[in-house]
Amino acid sequence: MKTPASDRCRALLEQLSKYIDDELTPAERRALTAHLRRCPCCQTMADSLKHTVDACRKAGTTRLPADVRVRARARIATLLAAGPASRPRT
Amino acid sequence: MTDAVTKRTESNPSVRSRDGRSTDYAALLLAAQGGNQAAMERLLMKAQEIAYRFSLLVCGHADDADDAMQEALLKRYRHAAQIKEPAAFRTWLYRTVKNACLIGRRRRVGEPARVQSLDEVLMAPDGSLQRIDVEDHGRRPDQVMENSRLRQSLHRALLTLPPESRLIVFLREVEGLSTREVASVVGISEANVKTRLHRARLSLRRHLEAP
Repeated sequence: MKTPASDRCRALLEQLSKYIDDELTPAERRALTAHLRRCPCCQTMADSLKHTVDACRKAGTTRLPADVRVRARARIATLLAAGPASRPRT
Repeated sequence: MTDAVTKRTESNPSVRSRDGRSTDYAALLLAAQGGNQAAMERLLMKAQEIAYRFSLLVCGHADDADDAMQEALLKRYRHAAQIKEPAAFRTWLYRTVKNACLIGRRRRVGEPARVQSLDEVLMAPDGSLQRIDVEDHGRRPDQVMENSRLRQSLHRALLTLPPESRLIVFLREVEGLSTREVASVVGISEANVKTRLHRARLSLRRHLEAP
Protein backbone atom coordinates (compact mmCIF):
# COMPACT_ATOMS: atom_id res chain seq x y z
CA MET A 1 0.00 0.00 0.00
CA LYS A 2 1.28 3.44 -0.92
CA THR A 3 1.93 5.81 1.89
CA PRO A 4 1.85 9.60 1.61
CA ALA A 5 5.59 9.55 2.19
CA SER A 6 6.27 7.29 -0.81
CA ASP A 7 4.07 9.50 -2.99
CA ARG A 8 6.07 12.46 -1.81
CA CYS A 9 9.34 10.66 -2.58
CA ARG A 10 8.08 9.72 -6.03
CA ALA A 11 7.07 13.30 -6.78
CA LEU A 12 10.44 14.60 -5.65
CA LEU A 13 12.24 12.01 -7.72
CA GLU A 14 10.91 13.81 -10.78
CA GLN A 15 12.60 16.98 -9.55
CA LEU A 16 16.04 15.53 -8.95
CA SER A 17 17.38 16.33 -12.41
CA LYS A 18 16.23 19.92 -12.07
CA TYR A 19 17.88 19.95 -8.64
CA ILE A 20 21.17 18.72 -10.11
CA ASP A 21 20.92 21.20 -13.00
CA ASP A 22 20.02 24.01 -10.61
CA GLU A 23 16.74 24.66 -12.38
CA LEU A 24 14.41 24.60 -9.37
CA THR A 25 12.80 27.76 -8.03
CA PRO A 26 14.14 28.82 -4.62
CA ALA A 27 10.95 27.56 -2.95
CA GLU A 28 11.16 24.17 -4.74
CA ARG A 29 14.81 23.86 -3.84
CA ARG A 30 14.15 24.59 -0.17
CA ALA A 31 11.35 22.02 -0.07
CA LEU A 32 13.48 19.37 -1.76
CA THR A 33 16.52 20.06 0.40
CA ALA A 34 14.38 19.81 3.53
CA HIS A 35 12.96 16.49 2.35
CA LEU A 36 16.41 15.11 1.54
CA ARG A 37 17.55 15.91 5.08
CA ARG A 38 14.68 13.88 6.50
CA CYS A 39 14.65 11.01 3.99
CA PRO A 40 17.86 8.92 3.76
CA CYS A 41 16.42 6.94 0.86
CA CYS A 42 15.89 10.04 -1.30
CA GLN A 43 19.25 11.46 -0.19
CA THR A 44 20.95 8.26 -1.36
CA MET A 45 19.08 8.46 -4.66
CA ALA A 46 20.07 12.11 -5.13
CA ASP A 47 23.73 11.35 -4.38
CA SER A 48 23.68 8.38 -6.71
CA LEU A 49 22.10 10.35 -9.55
CA LYS A 50 24.62 13.14 -9.08
CA HIS A 51 27.41 10.55 -9.21
CA THR A 52 25.99 9.22 -12.48
CA VAL A 53 25.84 12.68 -14.03
CA ASP A 54 29.40 13.41 -12.88
CA ALA A 55 30.60 10.16 -14.48
CA CYS A 56 29.03 11.17 -17.80
CA ARG A 57 30.61 14.60 -17.63
CA LYS A 58 34.03 13.10 -16.98
CA ALA A 59 33.69 11.11 -20.21
CA GLY A 60 33.94 14.44 -22.03
CA THR A 61 37.60 14.65 -21.06
CA THR A 62 38.49 11.59 -23.13
CA ARG A 63 41.23 12.44 -25.58
CA LEU A 64 41.91 10.91 -28.94
CA PRO A 65 44.12 7.82 -28.74
CA ALA A 66 47.59 8.63 -30.05
CA ASP A 67 47.25 6.68 -33.31
CA VAL A 68 43.84 8.22 -34.04
CA ARG A 69 45.22 11.69 -33.34
CA VAL A 70 48.12 11.12 -35.76
CA ARG A 71 45.70 10.07 -38.50
CA ALA A 72 43.45 13.05 -37.75
CA ARG A 73 46.36 15.48 -38.00
CA ALA A 74 47.49 13.90 -41.29
CA ARG A 75 43.98 14.20 -42.74
CA ILE A 76 43.77 17.86 -41.75
CA ALA A 77 47.23 18.61 -43.14
CA THR A 78 46.32 16.98 -46.45
CA LEU A 79 43.07 18.91 -46.66
CA LEU A 80 44.68 22.25 -45.85
CA ALA A 81 47.64 21.63 -48.16
CA ALA A 82 45.22 21.21 -51.05
CA GLY A 83 44.23 24.85 -50.44
CA PRO A 84 41.00 26.82 -50.63
CA ALA A 85 40.83 26.42 -54.41
CA SER A 86 40.06 22.74 -53.94
CA ARG A 87 37.04 23.41 -51.71
CA PRO A 88 33.95 22.15 -53.42
CA ARG A 89 31.15 24.72 -53.68
CA THR A 90 28.03 24.02 -51.68
CA MET B 1 46.95 36.67 -35.27
CA THR B 2 47.13 33.27 -33.67
CA ASP B 3 47.91 34.88 -30.33
CA ALA B 4 44.96 37.21 -30.69
CA VAL B 5 42.69 34.30 -31.42
CA THR B 6 44.04 32.35 -28.48
CA LYS B 7 43.52 35.29 -26.13
CA ARG B 8 39.96 35.82 -27.30
CA THR B 9 39.25 32.13 -26.99
CA GLU B 10 40.59 31.79 -23.49
CA SER B 11 39.04 34.97 -22.20
CA ASN B 12 35.52 34.14 -23.33
CA PRO B 13 33.89 31.67 -20.94
CA SER B 14 30.65 31.47 -22.92
CA VAL B 15 31.32 27.98 -24.21
CA ARG B 16 33.10 25.80 -21.71
CA SER B 17 33.66 22.17 -22.43
CA ARG B 18 33.51 19.46 -19.75
CA ASP B 19 37.29 19.36 -19.50
CA GLY B 20 37.29 22.97 -18.34
CA ARG B 21 38.78 24.38 -21.51
CA SER B 22 36.73 27.13 -23.05
CA THR B 23 36.22 27.27 -26.76
CA ASP B 24 34.88 30.33 -28.48
CA TYR B 25 33.74 28.70 -31.68
CA ALA B 26 32.47 31.97 -33.15
CA ALA B 27 35.88 33.62 -32.71
CA LEU B 28 37.66 30.62 -34.16
CA LEU B 29 35.30 30.50 -37.11
CA LEU B 30 35.68 34.20 -37.87
CA ALA B 31 39.46 33.85 -37.68
CA ALA B 32 39.38 30.79 -39.93
CA GLN B 33 37.18 32.59 -42.42
CA GLY B 34 39.69 35.42 -42.38
CA GLY B 35 42.43 33.05 -43.48
CA ASN B 36 43.94 32.11 -40.11
CA GLN B 37 45.30 28.62 -40.75
CA ALA B 38 45.86 27.86 -37.04
CA ALA B 39 42.22 28.65 -36.26
CA MET B 40 41.06 26.45 -39.11
CA GLU B 41 43.27 23.60 -37.86
CA ARG B 42 41.78 23.93 -34.37
CA LEU B 43 38.25 23.90 -35.70
CA LEU B 44 38.96 20.83 -37.79
CA MET B 45 40.62 19.02 -34.88
CA LYS B 46 37.59 19.80 -32.69
CA ALA B 47 35.40 18.14 -35.32
CA GLN B 48 37.70 15.12 -35.30
CA GLU B 49 37.56 14.79 -31.51
CA ILE B 50 33.78 15.11 -31.41
CA ALA B 51 33.34 12.57 -34.20
CA TYR B 52 35.57 10.10 -32.35
CA ARG B 53 33.68 10.44 -29.05
CA PHE B 54 30.38 10.23 -30.91
CA SER B 55 31.45 7.01 -32.67
CA LEU B 56 32.58 5.44 -29.43
CA LEU B 57 29.82 6.55 -27.05
CA VAL B 58 26.76 6.90 -29.28
CA CYS B 59 27.40 4.40 -32.09
CA GLY B 60 29.37 2.02 -29.88
CA HIS B 61 32.06 1.44 -32.49
CA ALA B 62 35.43 3.14 -32.22
CA ASP B 63 36.41 1.38 -35.45
CA ASP B 64 33.79 3.44 -37.31
CA ALA B 65 35.46 6.59 -36.11
CA ASP B 66 37.85 7.05 -39.02
CA ASP B 67 35.03 7.12 -41.58
CA ALA B 68 32.94 9.43 -39.43
CA MET B 69 35.93 11.67 -38.78
CA GLN B 70 36.73 11.88 -42.48
CA GLU B 71 33.13 12.72 -43.35
CA ALA B 72 32.88 15.34 -40.60
CA LEU B 73 36.18 16.86 -41.64
CA LEU B 74 35.22 17.31 -45.26
CA LYS B 75 31.78 18.71 -44.50
CA ARG B 76 33.14 21.13 -41.98
CA TYR B 77 35.88 22.36 -44.26
CA ARG B 78 33.45 22.83 -47.13
CA HIS B 79 31.08 24.93 -45.05
CA ALA B 80 33.36 26.75 -42.62
CA ALA B 81 34.21 29.48 -45.09
CA GLN B 82 30.59 30.11 -46.00
CA ILE B 83 28.63 29.81 -42.75
CA LYS B 84 27.03 33.18 -41.93
CA GLU B 85 25.96 32.72 -38.32
CA PRO B 86 29.02 32.07 -36.14
CA ALA B 87 26.82 31.92 -33.02
CA ALA B 88 25.02 28.88 -34.40
CA PHE B 89 28.22 27.17 -35.44
CA ARG B 90 28.46 24.82 -32.47
CA THR B 91 25.04 23.24 -32.97
CA TRP B 92 25.76 23.02 -36.68
CA LEU B 93 28.99 21.20 -35.89
CA TYR B 94 27.21 18.58 -33.77
CA ARG B 95 24.51 18.09 -36.40
CA THR B 96 27.25 17.57 -38.99
CA VAL B 97 29.05 15.02 -36.84
CA LYS B 98 25.80 13.22 -36.01
CA ASN B 99 24.88 12.96 -39.68
CA ALA B 100 28.38 11.90 -40.66
CA CYS B 101 28.34 9.12 -38.08
CA LEU B 102 24.87 7.97 -39.09
CA ILE B 103 25.91 7.92 -42.76
CA GLY B 104 28.80 5.70 -41.75
CA ARG B 105 26.41 3.38 -39.92
CA ARG B 106 24.07 3.14 -42.91
CA ARG B 107 26.96 2.15 -45.15
CA ARG B 108 27.37 -0.87 -42.90
CA VAL B 109 23.84 -2.12 -43.37
CA GLY B 110 24.09 -5.82 -43.96
CA GLU B 111 27.17 -6.23 -41.85
CA PRO B 112 26.67 -8.12 -38.60
CA ALA B 113 25.69 -5.78 -35.80
CA ARG B 114 28.22 -5.87 -32.99
CA VAL B 115 28.82 -3.44 -30.22
CA GLN B 116 32.47 -2.95 -29.49
CA SER B 117 33.26 -2.84 -25.83
CA LEU B 118 35.58 -0.31 -24.32
CA ASP B 119 37.68 -3.26 -23.15
CA GLU B 120 38.38 -4.06 -26.78
CA VAL B 121 39.21 -0.44 -27.53
CA LEU B 122 41.68 -0.28 -24.67
CA MET B 123 43.08 -3.80 -24.90
CA ALA B 124 46.44 -4.27 -26.60
CA PRO B 125 47.04 -7.30 -28.86
CA ASP B 126 48.94 -9.02 -26.06
CA GLY B 127 45.97 -8.65 -23.72
CA SER B 128 47.46 -5.87 -21.63
CA LEU B 129 45.66 -2.61 -21.03
CA GLN B 130 46.80 0.11 -23.41
CA ARG B 131 47.70 3.57 -22.29
CA ILE B 132 44.49 5.27 -21.29
CA ASP B 133 44.06 8.39 -23.37
CA VAL B 134 42.27 10.54 -20.89
CA GLU B 135 43.30 13.40 -18.72
CA ASP B 136 44.65 11.26 -15.93
CA HIS B 137 48.10 12.79 -15.88
CA GLY B 138 49.43 13.13 -12.38
CA ARG B 139 46.87 10.79 -10.81
CA ARG B 140 47.72 7.69 -8.83
CA PRO B 141 47.53 4.38 -10.73
CA ASP B 142 44.64 3.18 -8.55
CA GLN B 143 42.72 6.34 -9.40
CA VAL B 144 43.45 5.85 -13.08
CA MET B 145 42.24 2.24 -12.93
CA GLU B 146 39.14 3.26 -10.97
CA ASN B 147 38.37 5.93 -13.58
CA SER B 148 38.92 3.35 -16.30
CA ARG B 149 36.48 0.92 -14.66
CA LEU B 150 33.93 3.70 -14.27
CA ARG B 151 34.25 4.64 -17.93
CA GLN B 152 33.78 1.04 -19.01
CA SER B 153 30.68 0.71 -16.84
CA LEU B 154 29.34 3.98 -18.19
CA HIS B 155 30.02 2.89 -21.75
CA ARG B 156 28.08 -0.35 -21.22
CA ALA B 157 25.25 1.54 -19.51
CA LEU B 158 25.04 4.10 -22.33
CA LEU B 159 24.61 1.34 -24.88
CA THR B 160 21.52 0.07 -23.06
CA LEU B 161 19.71 3.37 -23.71
CA PRO B 162 17.49 3.93 -26.74
CA PRO B 163 19.58 5.66 -29.48
CA GLU B 164 17.92 9.05 -29.14
CA SER B 165 18.31 9.08 -25.36
CA ARG B 166 21.95 8.07 -25.79
CA LEU B 167 22.40 11.00 -28.17
CA ILE B 168 20.79 13.39 -25.69
CA VAL B 169 23.02 12.19 -22.83
CA PHE B 170 26.06 12.49 -25.07
CA LEU B 171 25.28 16.04 -26.17
CA ARG B 172 24.12 17.35 -22.78
CA GLU B 173 26.36 15.54 -20.30
CA VAL B 174 29.46 14.48 -22.19
CA GLU B 175 29.79 17.43 -24.57
CA GLY B 176 28.22 20.06 -22.34
CA LEU B 177 25.70 21.54 -24.77
CA SER B 178 22.84 23.56 -23.29
CA THR B 179 19.32 22.15 -23.29
CA ARG B 180 18.43 24.56 -26.08
CA GLU B 181 21.40 23.45 -28.18
CA VAL B 182 20.56 19.78 -27.64
CA ALA B 183 16.97 20.46 -28.72
CA SER B 184 18.25 22.13 -31.86
CA VAL B 185 20.63 19.29 -32.76
CA VAL B 186 18.15 16.48 -32.04
CA GLY B 187 15.13 18.31 -33.44
CA ILE B 188 12.80 18.06 -30.41
CA SER B 189 11.51 20.58 -27.86
CA GLU B 190 13.52 21.66 -24.82
CA ALA B 191 10.85 20.19 -22.54
CA ASN B 192 11.22 16.87 -24.33
CA VAL B 193 15.00 17.00 -23.94
CA LYS B 194 14.64 17.53 -20.18
CA THR B 195 12.14 14.69 -19.80
CA ARG B 196 14.22 12.22 -21.78
CA LEU B 197 17.42 13.29 -20.08
CA HIS B 198 15.91 12.69 -16.65
CA ARG B 199 14.69 9.21 -17.61
CA ALA B 200 18.05 8.42 -19.19
CA ARG B 201 19.88 9.51 -16.03
CA LEU B 202 17.68 7.25 -13.90
CA SER B 203 18.31 4.35 -16.24
CA LEU B 204 22.08 4.95 -16.27
CA ARG B 205 22.07 5.18 -12.49
CA ARG B 206 20.39 1.78 -12.22
CA HIS B 207 23.03 0.23 -14.47
CA LEU B 208 25.96 1.92 -12.77
CA GLU B 209 24.73 1.03 -9.30
CA ALA B 210 23.94 -2.58 -10.19
CA PRO B 211 26.37 -5.04 -8.55
